[in-house]
Amino acid sequence: MRETRLWSLHLLAIPIIFVLLGMHLAIMHYAPVFYGMSVDKAREFGTMIERGKSVVQFVLYILLLIAGLYHGLYGLRGILRELPLTPTLIKVVDIGILTFGLLIFALGTYVTWWTFSFKAGG
Amino acid sequence: MTTAPTTSRELTFRVRRFDPDTGSAPHWDSYTVNVAEGMTVLEALHQIKAEKEPTLAWRSSCRMGVCGSCGMFINDLPRLACQTQVLHLGTHVITVAPLPNYPNVKDLVPNLEPLIEKHAAIKPFIIHPNSQEVDEPTGEFLQIAEEREAFSQFTYCIKCGLCLAACPTVATDPLFLGPQALAQAYRYTADNRDCGVEERLESIDMFHGPYQCHMAGACSVACPKGVDPAFGIQLLKRTLVLDSIGFGKKKSSVAKVSPLADVVKAIEEFAPPPRTVSQ
Repeated sequence: MRETRLWSLHLLAIPIIFVLLGMHLAIMHYAPVFYGMSVDKAREFGTMIERGKSVVQFVLYILLLIAGLYHGLYGLRGILRELPLTPTLIKVVDIGILTFGLLIFALGTYVTWWTFSFKAGG
Repeated sequence: MTTAPTTSRELTFRVRRFDPDTGSAPHWDSYTVNVAEGMTVLEALHQIKAEKEPTLAWRSSCRMGVCGSCGMFINDLPRLACQTQVLHLGTHVITVAPLPNYPNVKDLVPNLEPLIEKHAAIKPFIIHPNSQEVDEPTGEFLQIAEEREAFSQFTYCIKCGLCLAACPTVATDPLFLGPQALAQAYRYTADNRDCGVEERLESIDMFHGPYQCHMAGACSVACPKGVDPAFGIQLLKRTLVLDSIGFGKKKSSVAKVSPLADVVKAIEEFAPPPRTVSQ
């Protein structure tokens, strides 16, 4: 059931992205509507740092990172594996995409953690 | 292509020719054919072979859309030559080529081995844990109309291979199992007499399985028997997902009823009702 599980997770990521990306848009781009705050203010460094210290936001952004990366990279794998590849190249694609995904996840997690644990002047 | 007037009875057939024995590249030959109302492409090909080109090769048998032998690429669509009426195509020039997505054996003859191999790969038969019961059944399995209805349309498949010729995914990914095999996988998985669900699903749960379907639906349009393989693939996906989370059909729930001996006995003991009208 390996491919079925991978594909099911690919679909499961869609509603997760839909909800979390919606929240991201509400916080960042529709701040005047939802928070009565100007977009410029919502994007200010200080405001971002302040938001980033929220545990809820930290968890939600990590979830969005996982869901977005998984959905996008599984789709990319599907496109690449439709090419007439040799078995060796198929392994290269699979391992390459997994490695790339882990690296981007590590980077995204680091940035989110950096924001979460940011200390002014520290 | 221009629309043919209804009075015209002389049409041009552009036929794709290929003979591996001569080593020449595939090319197009044109033949003029006098066509009559109701004439099929297959009949036109017979006329060409009889009167103009005796070496022209194709595969056909029943002439009535049952055997699925005469699949061809007619006016850029996969169709059965015996079911395609020439005048219904509505063009002055009719192109006839071998089915795409298959190796070409000669002229209009495709090599259907990919179709057969993929069909065989999905175990297209009722799987029963007791092989003795399959070879020498001691009873019959109950199947009510609703249970049959769950997969009935997929039993109409005649293995003509038009769906694979129409499939854009098969065109780019020859390893894709394709609409015919996957729809048949659903047909046997949905059959309440089958006990090999896990075995069959295991054999198709791979990258080149149902998840490669792009849902173009060309297979369903091409099918000459009205089967909807694209729908079958979606049903198969649902079956696979349910099975992967533990809600699938683990084994046949069918009840074995009416031992054959009882049926034979019942027939033997059958007495016709008394006559109500004297002769």
